[in-house]
Amino acid sequence: MSTISLKIEFGGGLELLFANQRSHRIDIPCRVSTDNDTTVKELNEKEAKAVDVSYLVHHMRDHMLKERAELFMENGTVRPGILVLINDTDWELEGEGEYQLKNGDEVVFISTLHGG
Amino acid sequence: MSACENPNVDQDALMTRRQKFDGKTKICVKCKENTGNIVIRYAVYCKSCFFPLIQTRFRKSLEPSINVIPDGSRRKGLKAAGSLVIAFSGGTSSTAMLDLVAKTYFAQRTGDTEERRGGKEHPRNLDRGVWKGKPVVCFVEVCGAFDDQRDRTDEIKAVVGSYPGTPFEFIPLRLEDAFNPLWWKQVTGDLSTSALSLGLDMRNEDLQLNQSTSEPSPLVALRRYLASLPTQTALYNAIHILTRVLLLHTAASRKASHLILGTSLTSLSVNLISGIAQGAGFSVAEEAKEEWKSQRGASVRVVRPLREVGMKECAIWDWWCGLHIVGRSRKFIQGGGRSAIGALTRDFIFGLESDFPATVSTVARTCAKLTPKEGSDGICVLCERPAQHGVQAWKSRISIRSYDQASSSITGNTRPPHLTETEIANLTLTSQDVSALTPSLTPRLCYACHTTLTSRSSRGTVHSGQSPGNIPIPTWVHAALQPTVGNEDSSDDDEDAEITQSTKLSQMEMKAQIVDFLLDEQ
Ligand SMILES: [Zn+2]
Ligand SMILES: [Zn+2]
Repeated sequence: MSTISLKIEFGGGLELLFANQRSHRIDIPCRVSTDNDTTVKELNEKEAKAVDVSYLVHHMRDHMLKERAELFMENGTVRPGILVLINDTDWELEGEGEYQLKNGDEVVFISTLHGG
Repeated sequence: MSACENPNVDQDALMTRRQKFDGKTKICVKCKENTGNIVIRYAVYCKSCFFPLIQTRFRKSLEPSINVIPDGSRRKGLKAAGSLVIAFSGGTSSTAMLDLVAKTYFAQRTGDTEERRGGKEHPRNLDRGVWKGKPVVCFVEVCGAFDDQRDRTDEIKAVVGSYPGTPFEFIPLRLEDAFNPLWWKQVTGDLSTSALSLGLDMRNEDLQLNQSTSEPSPLVALRRYLASLPTQTALYNAIHILTRVLLLHTAASRKASHLILGTSLTSLSVNLISGIAQGAGFSVAEEAKEEWKSQRGASVRVVRPLREVGMKECAIWDWWCGLHIVGRSRKFIQGGGRSAIGALTRDFIFGLESDFPATVSTVARTCAKLTPKEGSDGICVLCERPAQHGVQAWKSRISIRSYDQASSSITGNTRPPHLTETEIANLTLTSQDVSALTPSLTPRLCYACHTTLTSRSSRGTVHSGQSPGNIPIPTWVHAALQPTVGNEDSSDDDEDAEITQSTKLSQMEMKAQIVDFLLDEQ
């Protein structure tokens, strides 16, 4: 199974949910299940898609998050109040969860929940 | 694709949030050259246009209030009447604010940044010496309010000290300083011992003040005060109020003309909505702009220079500037406050901002325009904000109350309707013995503070089991009560005169009146 390599960074205190580590390098599969199930072993090509940010978020929840998933995800995406930058650009400009990840992409997750 | 097109696909697709960017152009709306990096309320900006954009909004919110009398000539000749105190929590927006203050008014002079930041017309010279003396960064450590919170004072100190040329003086405070006579002495002056020995009786809505023999340490006093509060909402409210008043008195003691708070547009909307929900509607415009006067006549302008800047922009500023977020106490972000009105409102506003970014600024603007119908007739001794005239009279008109003794209804004593008859009887006994002699805090409180101290949640109190007969009160409340304590003065009589005579209702009669609205007990 071919994979791509990504750099994941956390800001605004979000790293607290991820073993207090601000920068991570991870490898994830190029092709993933359309329902973002991160535990699928045998991928059926009919239900496969190119890996996108939506899958990445599920992967992070299932395999990287150390505590309190509800502070990271809500309704299948990142919780309101968490910002995402893809290669230093607001993910809203890149199609949000539908952005197709490339090898070497840098994805930053910033919490604004620390408020004032 | 519309989010609702095919409800038969998976749950996640169904819940896709509305896209905030229409995809028409990714070019920056400002320079119309660069590819955009960030979407702010539907508009696309590139990274190099982002910084001046935020800085401009910051200045526009702050600078018109710097001069004693705004002269309209925009930024020429900015001269404040006193010094500057910056409230700093270590959170996302106050980190951005501190950075903006440092870069805008106290930057190290290097030709390099001069060129980059402002261009040739930039009147940087005028920014020098806007405020008198060295600016103070003030941090209030709230960990004393909770059992398991780490003290972040040293981390905060490191952040404040990290600015080149150390332009800021750092003043660390603790929430328990609110109960510390030594702190009060430092910022204002002495307190008489008679005033200091007063404790608060939380057992009924009169909030009578008793002589207390115990002198707990500030931390113990803080804990007892917080533990006496009836709800989670009240607890977070109280912490907010203590923090604010600590900052105000510190500002006054430093002869500050301005106290700036890092309230972002997003938090401002949260505060305004939750304030209204908690009965602070009277001072809701204050949240947007206020001028505070100390008991000694000092006047401090409280300004929120990020009130036009969303939390998103603050977070991006911090990230792009490589600023370290110390973060606020975890209790404020999760857990603890979940059921509190503030936390519920925050979730609501964050969701709203995420899906409909323009709505949040509308909330803030609308609230800022609200003006109370009746004037204020004094300052609430607890939160030191304007208090509404005749609050008790109004409260007794809008609530169903039981006056079980005619004598107490004449003196304006009121009973929470959710106490049992026996409880009320007991309370009445206690308060009648002392009511003639003991001053009550109630007439000196604003509606929101009175509610914070007395309203019980339908789910019961947070800390049941403690006897709330003699609760410590913040030092400034002692100070405000000083002149009148011991002799009921005429202003209290005025308050009493306002109270409308209510009909006596028994518990059964009350129940009969509202029977159609009662839910079955499970
Ligand atoms: Zn631009
Ligand atoms: Zn008040």
